Amino acid sequence: MSATPPFPGAGYPDASLLAPAQDSAPKPKRTKKIKATKVVDGIEQEVEIEVEDAGGPEWGARETLKVLDKDLQRVDGPVKVSGRAVYTHDVRAPGMAWARLLLAPVAALKIARLDFAACKAVKGYLAHEVLEAEETRWLGQPIAAVAAESSEAAEDCLRAIFFEWEARPAVLDRESALKPDAPQVGRRGNQSKPSVRGEEAKARAAIEAAQFKVSATYTVPVVHHACLETHGAVVDWRGGDEATVHCSTQVTFGFAGDAAKILELKQANVVGVVEHMGGGFGSKFGFGIEGEAAARLSKGLRRPVHLMLTRKDEFRMAGNRSGSHIEASGGMDSAGVLVGVAARAHKHGGLGDGSLSGLPYIYKCAESWSEISGVRTNLDASRAMRAPGHPQASFATESLLDELAYAAGLDLLEVRKANLDDKVWHRQLDRVAREVGWFEHANRTRPGSGKDELCVGIGFAISRWGGGGGPACEVEIAIERDGSVTSAVGSQDLGTGVRTYVAAIPAEELGLPLSAVVAKIGSTRLGNANGSGGSVTTASLAPAVKHAAWNARQAFAEVLAPLLGCTPADVVFVDGHVQAAAGGRKLSWKQACAALPEAGLRAKGTWQAHLQANGVHGAQAAKVEVDTLTGRVRVLHMACMQDVGLCLNRAATRSQINGGMVQALGYALLEERVVDPALGLQLNPCFEDYKLPHSLEIPKMTVVLDDEDRRAPIGMSEAPIVPGGAAIANAIHNACGARIRSLPCTPDKVLAALGKVS
Amino acid sequence: MKSFTLVNPTTLDGALEALADAMDRRGRSKAALLAGGQDLLTELKEHLAEPEVVVNLKGVPGLDAILVEGDLLRMGALATLSAIEAHPGILERAPALAQAAASVASPQIRSVGTLGGNLCQRPRCAYYRLEEAKCIKKGGAECFSYSGRNKYNAIFGGGPSYIVHPSDLATALAALDASVVVLTKKGLQTTPVERFFTLPSEGSILKETILKPDEILVEVQVPLDALARGSAWSKFKERASYDWALASVCAAIEKDAGKVKRARIALGGVAPIPWRVPAAEALLVGKALDEAVIAAACAEALRGAEPLSENGYKIPLAKGILTRVLRGLA
Repeated sequence: MSATPPFPGAGYPDASLLAPAQDSAPKPKRTKKIKATKVVDGIEQEVEIEVEDAGGPEWGARETLKVLDKDLQRVDGPVKVSGRAVYTHDVRAPGMAWARLLLAPVAALKIARLDFAACKAVKGYLAHEVLEAEETRWLGQPIAAVAAESSEAAEDCLRAIFFEWEARPAVLDRESALKPDAPQVGRRGNQSKPSVRGEEAKARAAIEAAQFKVSATYTVPVVHHACLETHGAVVDWRGGDEATVHCSTQVTFGFAGDAAKILELKQANVVGVVEHMGGGFGSKFGFGIEGEAAARLSKGLRRPVHLMLTRKDEFRMAGNRSGSHIEASGGMDSAGVLVGVAARAHKHGGLGDGSLSGLPYIYKCAESWSEISGVRTNLDASRAMRAPGHPQASFATESLLDELAYAAGLDLLEVRKANLDDKVWHRQLDRVAREVGWFEHANRTRPGSGKDELCVGIGFAISRWGGGGGPACEVEIAIERDGSVTSAVGSQDLGTGVRTYVAAIPAEELGLPLSAVVAKIGSTRLGNANGSGGSVTTASLAPAVKHAAWNARQAFAEVLAPLLGCTPADVVFVDGHVQAAAGGRKLSWKQACAALPEAGLRAKGTWQAHLQANGVHGAQAAKVEVDTLTGRVRVLHMACMQDVGLCLNRAATRSQINGGMVQALGYALLEERVVDPALGLQLNPCFEDYKLPHSLEIPKMTVVLDDEDRRAPIGMSEAPIVPGGAAIANAIHNACGARIRSLPCTPDKVLAALGKVS
Repeated sequence: MKSFTLVNPTTLDGALEALADAMDRRGRSKAALLAGGQDLLTELKEHLAEPEVVVNLKGVPGLDAILVEGDLLRMGALATLSAIEAHPGILERAPALAQAAASVASPQIRSVGTLGGNLCQRPRCAYYRLEEAKCIKKGGAECFSYSGRNKYNAIFGGGPSYIVHPSDLATALAALDASVVVLTKKGLQTTPVERFFTLPSEGSILKETILKPDEILVEVQVPLDALARGSAWSKFKERASYDWALASVCAAIEKDAGKVKRARIALGGVAPIPWRVPAAEALLVGKALDEAVIAAACAEALRGAEPLSENGYKIPLAKGILTRVLRGLA
């Protein structure tokens, strides 16, 4: 399997490094020191001995698990669905001011006059900050921030700013950016230096010599993260030495320092809080311009400041997934083996360079060449978005593979397997194929004719991700004398279910129900945690929680052993009771905890490499119905099979996978940032016109967790967003012969591909 | 949104008076009428409308009535879309109207959105809806969609503006030969729905209807005849859950001995007004609705369409849904 290039997202872990095989080399035997009772000269003594660490922190056999690997209801589900969960948006502090941003209305401008006299005269005006005084380079670039007594007054202040500007030359699309006389977006020019992999001549020669050849251009649009909670912060400083800063971010430990600098406070006195957050998908790393503006306003006012982006601002300045223009050629032999792939690609990441994995993505190929460069425009920079670069590469690769397979008259499923050595994908492809009815489907080697009014088709695509973790997290478990248990770490929960497994892991270890453990997360007052990007959170955090829980159990066993008349190693924690392995006296959890000293018990844990793994595989199939009279595409069924190592919470994992498939469906059929290149305006900066899938778009969804995978937990949340877009586009073609090489596959494109638009 | 004064009249006379009070000496209004607010709110938020006075009609009793009086359906302007879609009399005797109401937006919006508001709503063209784009509908010089992004714009009746009228009920009511009742200073005036809406080349470019700022649409009347009973509706949305029409069709057919006696067809989502297709209607009269006749009527209905650079697909799309509606009425 070929390697994927690193992702360019700032601070983004390189998730491309896959673990070798699932059956990794045997681990060296670990040992541990335990206290044991030994009779010396007739007198019992406590001694320390070294033993093989058979009872050390291990996830244990799946069959024995009582909490993990089950369907767990999220511990924060009730507060979220009842509206009691406090997101950054919901934070209210005494004396809090409300702030708004003034954004550049066009792609590039020179500021002629920025006058706040009328703004200051608005009732409720409190303060303003100039963020850019001379010129702007991108549509939506913040120019100023205002704070007022109410959100309504803040808007009135914003509109009272006298802002006069002259448009500067700008480019908004690939075609104009690449013209020889195009206005230059920056000093680095309009095109980044290409990254090249493989040798073009060899790849082209292999394609030329191949029995079946296809050349085509595939494009994917710029799309948005569409976080339901917009970006922003509430900086709660009221003068004095301390501040609390709430931020809707993926990195709890990533903004208190920035806020402290602006507020001129010691970082130690600034608490960062991410109690609940409403989606990030890669767009919420760091304090951001909006957070910094809030801190500056707060510094000036000596009052708390609430600055959350409006939905329109969010669309214009809070990032996007880069688009791509991919000119690809491929060659295949009669056995369905890819013999050569060549791709020249442009990424559209606004001022950023965008991301795109090389072709043929996951598939093996003897001779492949990719040349990928970024084409810059005067639009906000792309940010990491769930599986950066992968959905784009998946669409081009899987489409090309399908086109070649049809040219060769081969079975679409078998062609994929012929180009994948790793058998995990083979079993996954076979399973999702069975789920959607592939083996009873007529169009396995050629597409439908499109003559019927309603045509059904099936498409496939695969994914992979790293998902391994690293050392960062510090977890503390506290057991109190009254039996209450707390599991605490500063980590944020993006909505993936972190809070639930932070409680579930100690519950499993201590033989308790999930409800017996309280998870505390989302604050820099708690133990350190890594940012959530690249699906690294689970494999970084879960081992540390497990380690802390195991340490807590060991320490508690020391206390309980004399009471139970056994050695600490023989204390069994099960079903809310403690008992010696050999039986005898049985204490309820509450009784056992009463044996603790007044201060209770505290245990810490850190990352343990052997408690996590790396490298996930996924396969998806989509079944669609195409209405050839109208161009309507209705997704009937999506199926995903995914390996995740040990699944900490099956319900949450399925939910993540469902979410990935729904986002992929939006990518395939609906979502696209629409820009008018002449006016330099985004035409759909709202949820009415930027079309996310809603309830009626959601198909039957089947998630199969790959339980043959016996590894430790692995992060996988990026993987399920990758294949769905390509699978749906391929299914449309399979249904009716309409090949759409440009996402999203909207009815106008379907009708055009069917030859119905003159 | 800009601050405004909310006026809550309890009679139609009070509402008329409030509107009159808000006229300046040059005949411009500083007021906006509020019914369900589902369109007005979006206009206020984007600063497309900045009224100083908002006249709330919801305090006027009885304006939400739906009455069947013999062969006449009378619907008050404040009847909600959800009330229309569920009304037994409408379901039985003018099914297309109930279907059109049910196809609007989302259940939440339909439960507050009103008949009058739906007919008087402003265009959804992306350029119009963006404050930054000073387009011809907002007093600018140009219709940006003509040379810009126009996938959702008009293929009939465009120029100098190329909006499509967003009201689904307007399309259905045009096919059902309905009339609107407008309250003016001089009293009540009844106008056929088709004459209520104006092409940009005919009426003011800044509005879509003949309604003046000091007048109130109070009622819509639909003849409950054989035509209405034989009516059907289809709306094609890019996103099924919640969207505007890429194209819609309302057809009303009266048959006699298996042959079409009378036919009225209106297309929505294709023109700045509900778009009647008289040539296609005429073609159907006297014939049975077989596949050949339906195909000929569809071709006739879309004849003369003038698509812009990105909306040629609306021709096969409108034909497609018209085909299905006529088949359903065959």
